[in-house]
Amino acid sequence: MTVVDSPADATAADAPLLSLVGISKTFPGVRALEGVSLDLYGGEVHMLLGENGAGKSSLVKVLYGAYRADAGTILHAGRPVEIHRPADARRLGIAVIFQEFSLVPFLDLAQNIYLGREPCRRVTRLIDHARMHRDARTLLDALGLDYDTRALPVHLGVAQQQMVEIAKALSQRARILVMDEPTAALSDREADALFAVIRQLRADGVAIAYISHRMQEVLDLGDRVTVLRDGRRVATMPRAEASADALIRMMVGRPVGAVYQRRGYAEPGVPVLEVRGLRTATGVNGVDLSVRAGEIVGLSGLVGAGRTEVARAVFGADPIEAGDVRVFGAPARGDPARMAARGVALIPENRKQQGLALARSTQDNLLAASLWKLFPRGRYRTRQARARARDLIERLRIVPAQPRRLVRLLSGGNQQKVVIGKWLSADCRLFIFDEPTRGIDVGAKSDIYALIEDLVMRGAAVLLISSELSEIVNVCDRAYVMRGGRVAGELPRARLSEENILRLAMHEA
Amino acid sequence: MTAFAQRVRYRPRRLPAIVPIGIVVVAGAVLAGHGFASPRNIGNLGLQASVLLMLSMPMTLIIMSEGLDLSAGAVLSLCSVAMGLSLAAGHGIGVALAVSLAAGLAFGVTNGALVSLFGLPPFVVTLGTLGIAEGCALVLTDGNAVSGLGAGISTLYASHYAGVPFPVAVALATWLVTHVLLYHTRFGNYVFAIGGNRDALVLAGVPAWAWHIAIYAYGGLVSGVAALLLTGRMNAAHPTVAIGMEFDAIAAVVLGGTSFERGDGRLAGSVLGVATITVLRNALDLLGVESSLQVVAIGVLIMAVIVIDSAHSTWRAGPA
Repeated sequence: MTVVDSPADATAADAPLLSLVGISKTFPGVRALEGVSLDLYGGEVHMLLGENGAGKSSLVKVLYGAYRADAGTILHAGRPVEIHRPADARRLGIAVIFQEFSLVPFLDLAQNIYLGREPCRRVTRLIDHARMHRDARTLLDALGLDYDTRALPVHLGVAQQQMVEIAKALSQRARILVMDEPTAALSDREADALFAVIRQLRADGVAIAYISHRMQEVLDLGDRVTVLRDGRRVATMPRAEASADALIRMMVGRPVGAVYQRRGYAEPGVPVLEVRGLRTATGVNGVDLSVRAGEIVGLSGLVGAGRTEVARAVFGADPIEAGDVRVFGAPARGDPARMAARGVALIPENRKQQGLALARSTQDNLLAASLWKLFPRGRYRTRQARARARDLIERLRIVPAQPRRLVRLLSGGNQQKVVIGKWLSADCRLFIFDEPTRGIDVGAKSDIYALIEDLVMRGAAVLLISSELSEIVNVCDRAYVMRGGRVAGELPRARLSEENILRLAMHEA
Repeated sequence: MTAFAQRVRYRPRRLPAIVPIGIVVVAGAVLAGHGFASPRNIGNLGLQASVLLMLSMPMTLIIMSEGLDLSAGAVLSLCSVAMGLSLAAGHGIGVALAVSLAAGLAFGVTNGALVSLFGLPPFVVTLGTLGIAEGCALVLTDGNAVSGLGAGISTLYASHYAGVPFPVAVALATWLVTHVLLYHTRFGNYVFAIGGNRDALVLAGVPAWAWHIAIYAYGGLVSGVAALLLTGRMNAAHPTVAIGMEFDAIAAVVLGGTSFERGDGRLAGSVLGVATITVLRNALDLLGVESSLQVVAIGVLIMAVIVIDSAHSTWRAGPA
């Protein structure tokens, strides 16, 4: 383990602007952060790296007061401080730029930049609009941005909104700037221009904590790099000592089989899903993949790589611009209802919004997709429906085993089982899972994996979209890794490892 | 040149559909004759519009904050009853107004607290307080009008300020105050933010929950003042006098182009909405159209405006 507590950059100040010491945060069932320490020096860009769930977001939330750490201290310029609210963070000169922008749609740019700190006239307490616009103008000019301060955020592109966020942070005279994947929504050229701004800020002595999933940018921009894994700090090192391979090795490290042990691997049958040269307006940019009967194929990659978009296009939920999608050997061009009738099931990421009728019973939900199959004449037969629901509940091990239980009252894992059961009951033979275990506790996870394996043992085909590397590695027969709307590579079982997935997902080159 | 280095120009917002439609309605009313344009009728219009204008001012802020206040009419009735009872008990107008304001504020703060602190849907919350306010007004009066209020309040109602009748002056003052609040104070910015992106406000270190309550509290206070107009006009306080008035207020706000989402709204639009509804009602009255058909006409008007406004929706994913 390499832990370096002095800045790599010789021009940086001697004492850190902000130090986190031994920060821990536990949620029921999850240790989000365990004794994490981090120093942020003025004039450095400090990269934070780690796979999903490593603790990066939790750390940021502790920094701006959305979470209160269970243990540990925060030192600001050497003095212990408490950050309970965003207002506290702000007073200390900490500003966070989130992936989701915090602009108000119907306030103009000046009002947005000074939201919560509007300059007011002395006696009347009325907002001094003239001064606010003048100050905003000065600020935007300093960043070289020719935006009219009376414009609304709707008139700005994503990159421009990002710049307004930065202006907003600077207007608070923030000395500590936290950026959460700022380039996720930017084109390469926009990202380059953003880097120029960041380098300027660094030269001005601002401390920048920068969360990124892009290896190239970590290596190009960072002065120091901290790697987090499972809520712990693995290492902090100067840029000079970091290499892409070493960083990736530090990010992974769970043994195979720890998450789920496959019972066996079947000989794959006929191709069930074949995708050639798929392009969509939603950002899929040339994807080839195939899934055969009897195999679980992983679709991995970073958030935003285009995995969900592939699933939606295949299922007919988004239009296909170019390419060939074949399902069960026949071209698939249709709406979701037709795809479902042909035996394709999409189990969406957000099961509460898209997969379940929360106010209805387990039975109603289980049978929702197969009512016409069960009762072709349109007449609902209670006894038959109950029997079918009981079958499914038993087979899926849904707890509690009560057909009339409201789905709203089930745990996340059991809700997910109900969604799976819904499509199982409809005799689907191609299952597309989008993050099937997000927000599900560890015990229920292996139940879900066992169910997915059951599906393929019965001859179904499964495409499993997941951001959890261990899930892909432990559950899948093989996997595709996406990056920037394309398939960056395919990993057969022999080469399926967390490290190889990350390498494909993160390397820009 | 990179995308964010591009120049961003200010683009004035498109006029809401209420502007041309309101002009058509007013012109139609004038041309239809039947004494619409007579000075006497114009004076009546001002009186009819004043209470509605007062209700629609805070309603605009409430709807902009992605809220709704169904209790506005019932609370106004209760305020009027509270005012009437204290006048009947021999108190002066100052005391009566204070009692009325207190009743309005209590309901406003209750609405706001339930919406802001408990995250309950405004529709349900204010439906509940509607019932409570109406019930209280009925219990306090045994369902009868309170009379014997003395001459003070009707004299006040009939008074003029620089030639402007008292109720019109109060309504215009409410507009002015609300305008200043919405466009020239922090409170106003926070109204836009609560409706448009509440998280942004919280992240800016602002206690959004308190400002959210303040929006509803303001509604209660304005009801307390508006009770002066209602009570003075009849020189009596009737427990159900303003029931249902919230619907005209909501209609006026929606007509004016205020959206139930994203914190988009315009106060002047609501004023135009009030004017349009009042003129339409009045003109149809003069033409002898029965009141049930008037409601249909207002419904058609709202649909027309909403369809036109949404067809022109200004929100686009990227720069246009």
